[in-house]
Amino acid sequence: MKKLIAGIALLQAAWALPALATDYTIGAAFPMSGANAEYGEVFSSAANMAVDHINADKKLSGKLSIVYEDSQALPAQGVIAANKLVNVSKVPFVLSAFTGVSKAIAPIGTRTKTVMVNGGGVGPDLAALGEYFWNTIPLADFEVRAIVPYLVKERGLKKIALIYVDDPLGQSILAELGKELKAVGGELVGSFSIPTTMQQFSGIAARVRDTKPDAVYFATYGNQQVQLVKQLRDNGISQPLVSYSAVGLPSMLTLPEAKGLIYTSQKMNWDNSDPQAQRLMNDYKQKYGKEPSAYVLNYYNAVLTFADLAAALEKAGKPVTGENLLAQRKATKTFQFVGAKVSFADNGTVQSPIQINDVVGDGTTKAIAEVK
Amino acid sequence: MLFVQLLVNGLQTGALYALIAAGFSLIFGMTRIFHAAHGATFTIAGFIFYECYSVLHWVWPLAVIASALAASIFGILLDRWVYAVIQRHEGSFFTVFAASFGAAIVVQNLISIVFGRGLVTVSTPLSKSLEVAPGLFIAPIAGVIIACAIISFVVLQWLLTRTNLGIALRALGENPALIEVYGLTPRRLSQYVFLIGSILAVPSAILTAATSGLNPAMGNHVMLISVAATIVGGVGSLRGAALAGLLLGLAENLCLSVIDPQWSEAVTFVILFLFILFRPSGVFGRAIVS
Repeated sequence: MKKLIAGIALLQAAWALPALATDYTIGAAFPMSGANAEYGEVFSSAANMAVDHINADKKLSGKLSIVYEDSQALPAQGVIAANKLVNVSKVPFVLSAFTGVSKAIAPIGTRTKTVMVNGGGVGPDLAALGEYFWNTIPLADFEVRAIVPYLVKERGLKKIALIYVDDPLGQSILAELGKELKAVGGELVGSFSIPTTMQQFSGIAARVRDTKPDAVYFATYGNQQVQLVKQLRDNGISQPLVSYSAVGLPSMLTLPEAKGLIYTSQKMNWDNSDPQAQRLMNDYKQKYGKEPSAYVLNYYNAVLTFADLAAALEKAGKPVTGENLLAQRKATKTFQFVGAKVSFADNGTVQSPIQINDVVGDGTTKAIAEVK
Repeated sequence: MLFVQLLVNGLQTGALYALIAAGFSLIFGMTRIFHAAHGATFTIAGFIFYECYSVLHWVWPLAVIASALAASIFGILLDRWVYAVIQRHEGSFFTVFAASFGAAIVVQNLISIVFGRGLVTVSTPLSKSLEVAPGLFIAPIAGVIIACAIISFVVLQWLLTRTNLGIALRALGENPALIEVYGLTPRRLSQYVFLIGSILAVPSAILTAATSGLNPAMGNHVMLISVAATIVGGVGSLRGAALAGLLLGLAENLCLSVIDPQWSEAVTFVILFLFILFRPSGVFGRAIVS
């Protein structure tokens, strides 16, 4: 009888074990196929590295894993991906990317009380998608506000032509660029909207040349932006090319025609004294053979934010739900991101200094200015 | 000068579109197989050339041969192992289409795995424009594209009209059942069509790699151009495909002088729509009776 009781007690203990160590799954709706799949590759490499580090450090009582769904960088596909993550995989936390996709899936987050975190899209509208939608990337209005005074006052590039993709991101950059140029005595000499599927840009180059700009700002992304830069240079555009953080893709940074391109991103601090930054830098280089970009930093930090919040909830004995994650974020004043201590603004967006980069042409970039 | 520049750009784009459409038009016209994987053939040809020329640093003629070999092997194997099997079991047109579409997706993913998902380009001084007159920029590669298009269509026209193989292939497009009476095998001829059609994708793939770059998902755009040019030119007419490709390229560029670039691609669809409405058989095609 004693043995039977002991056996039952052992069984109970064994069954109870998983309740003590809860495994967590978070989701990600990234473009894993199509013309913007390169972004999905970069974003997921960062999220996977963060998961590896969190599990290695045993930050949570159980194991953290991540489920990916393919958004193809398209709003309709993004909604399907987010619905699957929320309703089938039942994740409390979803990583999002691209302005159009993020705007499409944000209502799902609000309705189901699921936290959605964007580290790639930069449309200014993303700051107003409700309290369940957070951004770990500074938005495009900050990037445009940072670079316009630099171009006009420090580089003397007053006449700017804009080529922008006709979507929420492009439209917001058009509005912001026009406003900012006017404010500092510059001029938007031409704006050319292009469809996301366009691949031939020799005609656009001719139209842009006709406006005689001092510099050309382009607001597109993925393979299209690489095609655009190559064809602008091949078709006689010798003026400086300027853009925003979407430029930080390996295929763009290694393109010979992209040499000298100027673009903004949030400040990346790879300070030797920060062990977290050094760990990410070294492990990422070892695993992927290249330096981590701003996107890597954003998604690594986004997953880290989940781990910090979930660990705090575990400590308080609360379940890790979207609602509790939001409450915990509001209660947490600062987060130790890689490279900096940051706080979320009331609209759920992380604010960070902007740096202006120059594409060296060998796959690397050089910071040439910083704007606080 | 803007108009002249756009005209030159239109000729370059149009010649490239004509080359892109030629292979698909030939295959569809002769075999009535909607070869949705023609875009995949194009992508394979482009990436093999990129690998051999830009990564392995082979001399360009060798890289072209490797690219042509890869494209033709893919086309022939797809015809032999997929289309022939479906047709043997009397699969419908849509079954063949679905299989072809599936093959295109598989190829797109395989290329993503092998070459990555980003854009790759072949660097050549031929793609750099020179200012030949004030405000008029022309790249030497424009001449190469136009020359390639002319040579390809002249050779193809000669093959189809002056050789026994060409006559047999045209007969295949006209009446596949009747050619068996003459001791010819439609299946064997179909293989020749896929061989020629796949090789036709090679020059356009290589020139695209040098002018605008390659990405694994670009097959969709290739198919869009191919289908539009085939419908506008007339099913089964290579002259039609060439003319339609040129027309679409010119329209896409010349419209930039009057409308916003946002709508330039829509011009292609407007032309397509007008042809479907008012001349469904295309420029040189004949009415198809089912």
